[in-house]
Amino acid sequence: MTHSSKQSRFQRWLALGIAIASLATVTVVANRAVVTRAAEQISLTGAGATFPQPLYEKWFAEYHRLYPNVKINYQGIGSGGGIRSITEKIVDFGASDAPLTDEQLAAAPGKLLHIPTVAGAVVVIYNLPGLENARLRLAPDVLADIFLGKINMWNHPRIAALNPGIKLPALPISVVHRSDGSGTTNIFTSYLKTVSPEWAARVGAGTSVKWPVEAAAGKGNPGVAGQVKQIPGAIGYVELAYAHQNKLPFALLRNRAGKFVDATLETTKAAMAGAAAEMPDDFRVMIVNAPGEDAYPIAGFTWLLVYQKQSDPVKGKALVQMIEWALKNGDKMAEELDYVPLPDNVQEKVLATLRSIQY
Amino acid sequence: MKDVSVFTPAGRLLSSGLVSAVYRRRRLMDLLMTGLAGLAVLVAVVPLFSILISVAIRGLSALNLDFFTKMPVPIGETGGGVLNAIVGSGILVGLGTLIGLPIGLLSAIYLAEYGRGRLADTIRLFTEVMSGVPSIVVGIFAYAIVVRPLHHFSALAGGVALGILMIPVVTRTAEEMIRMVPQSLREAGLALGLPRWRVTVSIVLPSAASGIVTGAMLAVARIAGETAPLLFTALNNAFFSTSLLRPIASLPVQIYTYATSPYEELHRIAWGAVFVLVMMVLITNLLTRLAVRSGYEMKR
Repeated sequence: MTHSSKQSRFQRWLALGIAIASLATVTVVANRAVVTRAAEQISLTGAGATFPQPLYEKWFAEYHRLYPNVKINYQGIGSGGGIRSITEKIVDFGASDAPLTDEQLAAAPGKLLHIPTVAGAVVVIYNLPGLENARLRLAPDVLADIFLGKINMWNHPRIAALNPGIKLPALPISVVHRSDGSGTTNIFTSYLKTVSPEWAARVGAGTSVKWPVEAAAGKGNPGVAGQVKQIPGAIGYVELAYAHQNKLPFALLRNRAGKFVDATLETTKAAMAGAAAEMPDDFRVMIVNAPGEDAYPIAGFTWLLVYQKQSDPVKGKALVQMIEWALKNGDKMAEELDYVPLPDNVQEKVLATLRSIQY
Repeated sequence: MKDVSVFTPAGRLLSSGLVSAVYRRRRLMDLLMTGLAGLAVLVAVVPLFSILISVAIRGLSALNLDFFTKMPVPIGETGGGVLNAIVGSGILVGLGTLIGLPIGLLSAIYLAEYGRGRLADTIRLFTEVMSGVPSIVVGIFAYAIVVRPLHHFSALAGGVALGILMIPVVTRTAEEMIRMVPQSLREAGLALGLPRWRVTVSIVLPSAASGIVTGAMLAVARIAGETAPLLFTALNNAFFSTSLLRPIASLPVQIYTYATSPYEELHRIAWGAVFVLVMMVLITNLLTRLAVRSGYEMKR
């Protein structure tokens, strides 16, 4: 009895030993396989603005199809999150709809470059029962006074004067804005600041501002679109794609040349072309109230944030190659999704900046 | 008795018309209260069912085999699925459970069986406080202790965040369950000469097992649907990844991303993913219930 139990205990230990040894072998082999595979696989992570996310996903999926060893994972966590992530170097590239301030640039551990990829238009959406198919016309001063609360009825004479053919209802105006910090708000308030001295003095521009009028708020573009849809008499601002996809009417705006323009690819491109002449070297510029006959007045770039000195040569090279590919080949994909690609003269300048990246 | 009662004041009252009035009032009150209770049940149940039904109606239409076996496709292309998010959610929840369950269970054993005095009170207080902490704060904590030192978003960070969220839920339910084990069982074990640890492992824990498992499942169900703590830890991944050191996809974050996008097609996939997530939680719950119940009946 004792003998057999001793033997069985020995056998059990032996079996355990063999099991551990084989497990270790498998792990080592598997690890080696992972290591060799990792040598040719390149994974980049980017995070930031939600506005360009659908386009970036499209671009990077296409790029992965062309270069199967490069996987670029982009996630929209908001411009603020993107700036923070790239500053703390926990992503390979950041993205933002609002240019970094001088303080934000100084806080980064290296020189950060703004690489504009596309532009988008911000449109003024509204909910007027019975006037779903009418296109309202708004002038900059009227728009500013609506958001300042000085014009608070839809049949106000100043709105009526701009829209002679439309019978405006006697409905109070409900302003809807973003509840979260947002690049869209930055573009919209930058515009109001440019066109209205009173707005500039009382409110200013930024990713979130102190709104002067009692208003409803929505989180993100979908939040604002949803609120406007629900409140008769509401007015709000969203990126063009959200107005299109939600089939919300948006206003024609009077531009600097005095013409009422619709927000389209062409009018936004015209705005960018106008801004290109005054483009600073670091691309930190807002495209609001741009000159040009057909320029739509409320638009903005969205930027990739990339360090000029890349710490990882393999990743750095892949990153630069990918951005170059996207700028040169991504125009059609951008237009299909309501984003406005860079005009040629701006693109040339961006490519030159891209070549200054060291890796 | 009956005859006497007529002559007592109470008896006279009983026999008078007032009696029926008292009874009627009580019956009415009873009816009213039952009605209110029923209404309360309805108020509680209607949202649950309306959610389940609308999720089923809107989610089912998005489901097909591709949904479970293919990767997401960019907007503008049809088809595709959320394979990476389903697998990613599984990995994250598994990782969270691996971290949260042992710590939660061990603290519960300590609190119920051994903990006395100030230390135990402090731990209990902190558990209470922890269970009230918003999940996004836990996400920021995981960001600070995992993401920043490692310098990238990772599945590991997401797992840590979910694990931390799980601890107080497990601790609180398991402690309650262990306390419910009758003292006489422990004494019986000790009387047989078992050491204290053996009593805990072989007598107390098996007796409390079904309750502990239920609590653990509640915790798993809670973390499976968490979005906020994953946004800044596990991030999300457009590609298939099972690496613990890379960003990983998950159903809740994928749903959040799709639901806030402007595209109808993505909203449809989001509804499908919601349905899958709800079903995953529901089925795990039911399976555990079943397993626990059959185990209990076998013991009996």
